[in-house]
Amino acid sequence: MNAFTHKLEEIFGNKVTVLEMSGGCNNEVFIRVKEDDVEKAASMLSKADFVLIAMFCEEGFQNKGKFSIFYVFEKKSYNKILVLVRDISSNNISSVTGIFPAAFWYEREIMDGFGINFNGNPDKRRLFLHEWYQNEFHPLLKSFKNRKIENIGPRKIEFKKEMEENTGNDYEFKEMKGDGVYQIPVGPIHAGIIEPGHFRFSVIGEVIYNLEIRMFYKHRGIEKFAEEKKAEDAIAIAESISGDESVANSTAFCTAVEKIYMADVPKRALHLRTILLELERIYSHLGDLAGMIIDVGFPAGASQFFILREEILRMNNKLTGSRFMKNILTIGGLKKEVKNDALIRANHYFNKFLGEFHKAVKVVHTTASVIDRLETTGIIRKDLIKCLNITGPAARGSGAAIDTRIDHPYGIYGKIMQAPKIRYAGDVLSRFEVKTEETIESVKMIQNLINTVPEGNVNAEYTPKDGFGLCILEAPRGQSIHWVDIKDGKIYRYKIRTASFCNWQAIEHAVLGNIVPDFPLINKSLNLSYAGTDL
Amino acid sequence: MTAILQNFMQGSVQKFLRESLPILAMIGYAALNTFFVILISPFFMGVIKKAKALCQRRKGQPVLQQYYNLLKLFKKETVVSHNSSWIMLKAPYINIAVIIVASLFVPVLFSYNNTFSFYADHTTDNNTSNYTNPNNASNSPIFGNILLFLYLLALGKFFMALSGLDAGSAFGGMGSSREMSLSAILEPITFLILLAFAFVFKTTNFFEIFTLTSTTGIVLANPALILLAASLFVVLIAETARVPVDNPETHLELTMIHEAMILEQSGKNLALMEASHAIKQTLFMAVFINIFVPFGYIGNTGNIGNSAAITFVSIMIAMLWFSLKGTILAVAIALFESSTAKLRLFKVPELFMISFFLAFLTIIIEVFR
Repeated sequence: MNAFTHKLEEIFGNKVTVLEMSGGCNNEVFIRVKEDDVEKAASMLSKADFVLIAMFCEEGFQNKGKFSIFYVFEKKSYNKILVLVRDISSNNISSVTGIFPAAFWYEREIMDGFGINFNGNPDKRRLFLHEWYQNEFHPLLKSFKNRKIENIGPRKIEFKKEMEENTGNDYEFKEMKGDGVYQIPVGPIHAGIIEPGHFRFSVIGEVIYNLEIRMFYKHRGIEKFAEEKKAEDAIAIAESISGDESVANSTAFCTAVEKIYMADVPKRALHLRTILLELERIYSHLGDLAGMIIDVGFPAGASQFFILREEILRMNNKLTGSRFMKNILTIGGLKKEVKNDALIRANHYFNKFLGEFHKAVKVVHTTASVIDRLETTGIIRKDLIKCLNITGPAARGSGAAIDTRIDHPYGIYGKIMQAPKIRYAGDVLSRFEVKTEETIESVKMIQNLINTVPEGNVNAEYTPKDGFGLCILEAPRGQSIHWVDIKDGKIYRYKIRTASFCNWQAIEHAVLGNIVPDFPLINKSLNLSYAGTDL
Repeated sequence: MTAILQNFMQGSVQKFLRESLPILAMIGYAALNTFFVILISPFFMGVIKKAKALCQRRKGQPVLQQYYNLLKLFKKETVVSHNSSWIMLKAPYINIAVIIVASLFVPVLFSYNNTFSFYADHTTDNNTSNYTNPNNASNSPIFGNILLFLYLLALGKFFMALSGLDAGSAFGGMGSSREMSLSAILEPITFLILLAFAFVFKTTNFFEIFTLTSTTGIVLANPALILLAASLFVVLIAETARVPVDNPETHLELTMIHEAMILEQSGKNLALMEASHAIKQTLFMAVFINIFVPFGYIGNTGNIGNSAAITFVSIMIAMLWFSLKGTILAVAIALFESSTAKLRLFKVPELFMISFFLAFLTIIIEVFR
């Protein structure tokens, strides 16, 4: 804490006065500065290489203002997470998009949820509230009660028209204009069975000059839904944020709550949780690897990855009783014991797995036509990583040595992780390679963990307490951030920021200069979750 | 026809029979060839799918699944966009009609004596084969003409591209534009291959080419044809929208070429589109098979008056041979597809260039032989 105080003094000098500074329950440092100094503080943090990793709003936090905006910062080589709390009483505040471009979506999200206007944010379009919501509708306000909303949804074309007239919110895409430029609208309904998202390409011939994405077609109101619930009841909600990240999200939620409760999770539970987290990473990465190879039209090479993924899912079922490892985590540890003999069998299986996996990778590596498609496709420039806060394998494929498991170790990762897997080209092939290596690393990690898993309880007693806490962890897609505020024994605010929320914005940059038929491949290589974004 | 009728009026029954036999033979040929091609086409599609599935270590669908799919689609109603015009509705019919006419140009099982033609100026006594003098171009009938065959396919493609544009969806237009761009590159190459055939066989008629290949050992005697086989294979892959040019199995609308054009089709119309695609594939396979592995093909039909070679049994055997060879070729296509990834769209012309080069080489070899 002291070291951090000094560091802050170094950064801010005498230009910004830190009004208040306090430590959080999970390695956070909360600071408050004068309202006039917020922008100055932000730009100084930006100069000092801090990255804006999340931004959210809460109504009536610590009763210091009407709203509090949280700016969450991370800096490479700093274990601590810096949270700048900005208490505001008016609905009109200044934007930080000029300093942190990553704030674009966050500010629009807060604008929709709380009705706060950010002066200086050039993009005033709504984000997750689509056209048919009324203008004065801000669902995350406490004055809005959690209930079923009537008359929402494009049931009839006339109804939609009527709503558009009412709200005047026709969503305008940023279209490129000029000779030979035309727009390709894709989605939200696709030819394949995938989730809904709209992509607006501006192309000349086949070359993409601009892409704008629009998400939130299946926004479920998860954050609001979790409010007023007991923490125990919200685990199932956390598990359902994104179907294939159930362990990561529920671990993040449980960890945040455990830190607030100051519960001491048993060693065995932490070990087992880590195994489950890595299992999730393995099957997620296997799905990606297979998907990338499928998308270049080489299903014979992809099938091996699919087979391995299915075998992992079956193993998950044997270990936890659920293929996607749902309903196993709870606050204070695990809901049920994972049997040792099942773990030993898993260990044996992984020996065979590695051989098969290497074979499958070799097939890809030795097929020139596949490499030709992956190489130089969808390059993410390294300088974008910080300003958009690109995270996970997407960032590591572009040469960024960031991995939450190493930068901000949680659980037992501090002892078992050494170095992140990095590639430098930033193209699809790099992401393929990163995911390949991470899969192997995860398998080896699991094998070590199984050999060293301690005996004992898997569940700890705890006494519920009020408080707030932040948990960040590395989900298969990248860094996931969960903010939990518990008041009177119930969840007062639950904010989730998944990796996909950040990385969806990366795809707009990754596709530039590529041709339209390569878009699905680039999309697959980033493996973005619609559900994880459409909270 | 009028001459025949006049003859009939004169009571010369015997003469009539002799003269009308070519017509009867043509009708028989047309019926047999067309039905066989239509019936066998979904089978080859099914074989390719099955073989690909096995390559991927999947069980795959039954080989006959394509028949079930077509029957299912024929039972379904056709749904079209409000924005589409008559082209959308008529294109599948135009397409299937054009393909069926084109199928008459490619004799799959046997060459009947092709004296009945629009251009031929035969006397009633002329029963001798055209093949004795293949260099006489003016004698070469339009029926079976390779150039006309290609233009018929191009006509079908044209209407398919129009129907892709017609519905006004983003993908149809994208598919049409891609198909047309690639066709513009592929078409001259296809012509060059045909030119090479003309150099080797001294004719541009499928009937004559197939008769030559099946009755003489020209393929074995002319190794340059192996080069042509490779270039024809590339055309076969490109025309039937297969990997590495196009991916017939993809659900990714942005990568589609052929599939994107028929994305808006449904029900019966979709069935017609798919059937014509399957038939087109069989036709190209037939060209490939009957030139390079012609055994089993009945080329030596002799004179039409006493076509001893064409009997029920021999046709059955020819069918079996063709199905067998077609199955093997289908498996080869599946293996080829499974061994490579789809090319980047802009690299597809490079594949065509290989085909171009080999055809060009054949011509040079032929000229300086």
